[in-house]
Amino acid sequence: MTTLARFSTPGRLPEPTEESADAWSAVVAKIFAPYLEDLPQFFDPTVEDTPEDATVAPVAWSAFPATVRNRSTSEEQRWAEADSDRSLQDEYCEWSVARNAEGKLTRVTFTTEVPEFWEHVAEDDSDKLLSVYRELVNPEVALDDLFDDSGRYFRTNRWNATTDGGVAHLIQDSNTLGAAVDLSARATVLRERDGRPVVNQQELVSCGGLGNPFRNSDPQIAAAINNVAASGAEITLQDPLGLYIDGFLTGGMATPDGEDPALYWTVERGDPDHVLRARYEVPEERGYVVGDITAAGRPLRFGGQLADRVEVRVTALAKAASHRPDRQPCEP
Amino acid sequence: MHDLATDIADTSCGVFFSISEALDPEKLHRFIVGEDEAPQAMEAREAAEALGDPFATLVLLRGVFPRTAAEVLDAIDAATADGDPLRQQMSFVLGEGSQIPVDAETAGLRRSMRFLVTRGTGPQGPDLLMSAFSPDQAEAEVMAWDARSGGFNYYRPVGPSVAWVFVGNSRHALLEPTEGKGPFESHTSGNFLMKELRAPWVHWHSPDANVFPTAFPDGDPLREHPWFTAKEPQGALTCELQVAKPGISRWTAARFEALLAGDGSIERPGRILAQILDTPTVNLISSHAEGTAVGSEPVDLPQTFFVDSEGLCETLGLQAPEGFAVGGPIYASSLNSFNVRLSDGEGFERPGDTHFAFVVPEPAFEDSEVLRAAIRVGLITERLAACLLMTDFPNPVFSTRRASLLAHVPGVATVTQGQSGFSQEMADAILGAAPGTPDGSPEREFAERWEAGEEWRVQFGLLLADYYRAVGEGLRNQERFDDYFVLAESRRERVRGMPISENPLLFARSDAPLTTRAMAADGSVLTTGEV
Repeated sequence: MTTLARFSTPGRLPEPTEESADAWSAVVAKIFAPYLEDLPQFFDPTVEDTPEDATVAPVAWSAFPATVRNRSTSEEQRWAEADSDRSLQDEYCEWSVARNAEGKLTRVTFTTEVPEFWEHVAEDDSDKLLSVYRELVNPEVALDDLFDDSGRYFRTNRWNATTDGGVAHLIQDSNTLGAAVDLSARATVLRERDGRPVVNQQELVSCGGLGNPFRNSDPQIAAAINNVAASGAEITLQDPLGLYIDGFLTGGMATPDGEDPALYWTVERGDPDHVLRARYEVPEERGYVVGDITAAGRPLRFGGQLADRVEVRVTALAKAASHRPDRQPCEP
Repeated sequence: MHDLATDIADTSCGVFFSISEALDPEKLHRFIVGEDEAPQAMEAREAAEALGDPFATLVLLRGVFPRTAAEVLDAIDAATADGDPLRQQMSFVLGEGSQIPVDAETAGLRRSMRFLVTRGTGPQGPDLLMSAFSPDQAEAEVMAWDARSGGFNYYRPVGPSVAWVFVGNSRHALLEPTEGKGPFESHTSGNFLMKELRAPWVHWHSPDANVFPTAFPDGDPLREHPWFTAKEPQGALTCELQVAKPGISRWTAARFEALLAGDGSIERPGRILAQILDTPTVNLISSHAEGTAVGSEPVDLPQTFFVDSEGLCETLGLQAPEGFAVGGPIYASSLNSFNVRLSDGEGFERPGDTHFAFVVPEPAFEDSEVLRAAIRVGLITERLAACLLMTDFPNPVFSTRRASLLAHVPGVATVTQGQSGFSQEMADAILGAAPGTPDGSPEREFAERWEAGEEWRVQFGLLLADYYRAVGEGLRNQERFDDYFVLAESRRERVRGMPISENPLLFARSDAPLTTRAMAADGSVLTTGEV
């Protein structure tokens, strides 16, 4: 049995000092706190033990927004729409594209970094924030660009607001660590309707007031946690807490020179098991660009074509317990 | 051995289950239904010449004969080194009853829970695919890519002695006298079969609907087996993108490459056109809305129920619809009117729809891929393809009108440097026959389409726009939606008669009249006969 000394940073990104690491842990603890008293099957692993044999339950989904997919009637239409606005990229993964003078796709960068961590960095060390922005987004970023008039870090600053101007971290309203924790905690409540257990994803989300039933991510997270909770177990999210890029599927892709298309997928932040940021880009010496690669016979013209193939993950942990919760009626 | 010949009156896949004689389990056999009268042991030289896939070369031809599905994978491991792509495994779970929780009422339900396990990786898909109900059972089906001859080789253990039998290659699905027989009864064109090929993949574990351990009975060891616990988290989505579609494209490309390898003459072009004009198989598609979640909100309906948007819009660039949806109360009323329920035919019944609402057949990806390949290599022009698909376009599947045009396919086609006169020849054949056919015949309809000439995109776009508008109006009316519901049920009934229908829970049941229906271009539904 172990109790976490503190919450790790997403992807175990390095912190400059112990104080900085403690400060981030405090941010996460504050996110957990509101749920611990009323939701007995949700626990804070820095407060309660997590046994070695706790069950690991990864939940994975596609980065491409299901709400856009479901309402679209052609492939190009949905890819173009998802590429048009970061506010549509609501699956805890956002992307930005770069094109060359001919308009061909040259790079697509994906991130699952939660804004809370960047706010923490901004508060802790603004010079570090600036240096990361300059390294990842654009060398021309100025500190004033990142803070509003009151001196608060501005999530949707000009360098992190569009689908073609670079990407630093998640900005879509639902793409926050707080939202993921809130969903996970409240999904431990079992539900019923007319005396019948509510277990199906969309119905559970609607019944429990857990967000949009037609997203990829939230219904699946909710259903997976709810299913574990029904066994009486207690649940938390695995440290290092975060949303991660879990893989990139290259089936059906073809490069002009027959090279493996997986070669051009590069992890930029996080470790191999906790990828926070990755880009798809062909090295210049190859003599072609991303837009010359095909997927399912079509040239890559949109970031959304690659988002279809990016897998996003959150991992729940369950420890055996003997709760016998009563099922609650649906939220009004 | 020849006393088994009496069994061969059955040329379906079921013939493999009827073999009661114990074959030598230490030998590889072949039994290609249509070519062979009975299973027969393969000589080592014959097998080595015929089979170039990894299951053969690394396992069977080395005298290793696995007794269970798990042993198939063990044998691959034993024959490969660390880092070999064949060590890379993916597993997937599905079952027609996979979304029905286990409780007292459903404990005995035949859920058909099964696994797909793949080995190998790469953009063309895995090289070995195995379908099995359990790792401990002998019953398994193996498909393995043969890079030497092209296509997948199909294997299965048969008989009480669990002897491995080579039952054909993808190319046997396309050739007489083996097409439609044995495994190619369901793998109609020699492809891997994933019926539910697009979101939300009803019956599969997927991001849209997880399959939880509770789908298995308490104490079932499969709950703890790595095939389940280490299954691909995204399930069907990964299978679609990484296994099924690349595999289908791989075989289609190899097939066309082989067709054109000689002097460019293609015998039996009708076999290709059958995949464009007829419905040799289908995929299944549904609403994204859960059946139990239908309420006041609109229920989106799959557009491929109304139009072959994959062929007409994605491939040929015609206008896509804006999206079809029906009001939740209208949909719920139809469910009630037609007494829609899940039923296993053995006593279990539950009112309501399948896990996702409105599961219907749609044109199969493998057939759409053939259409794209036929255009790409120059066998048919986009204009001919469009005119063919726009004949009876309101019926994207099971169109007897469109299929009747197969009578006019020339016997041979020639493609030279990406050019062919085939499209003009076929069009001429139909146009020549049209005057001798009754008013409203498929030939006359095709002739009208052909008349559009190079303006076909504009004119067909207008036809489609009118049709989409008419359907949209129909979806706002209870009586007309009831007609669409009956049309859907008539198409489901066709699928129930196909070999790919293996469990009554594939679709919901209803009391809708079992008559063959067809959609008309004005958005009305016609009764065309008995199912």
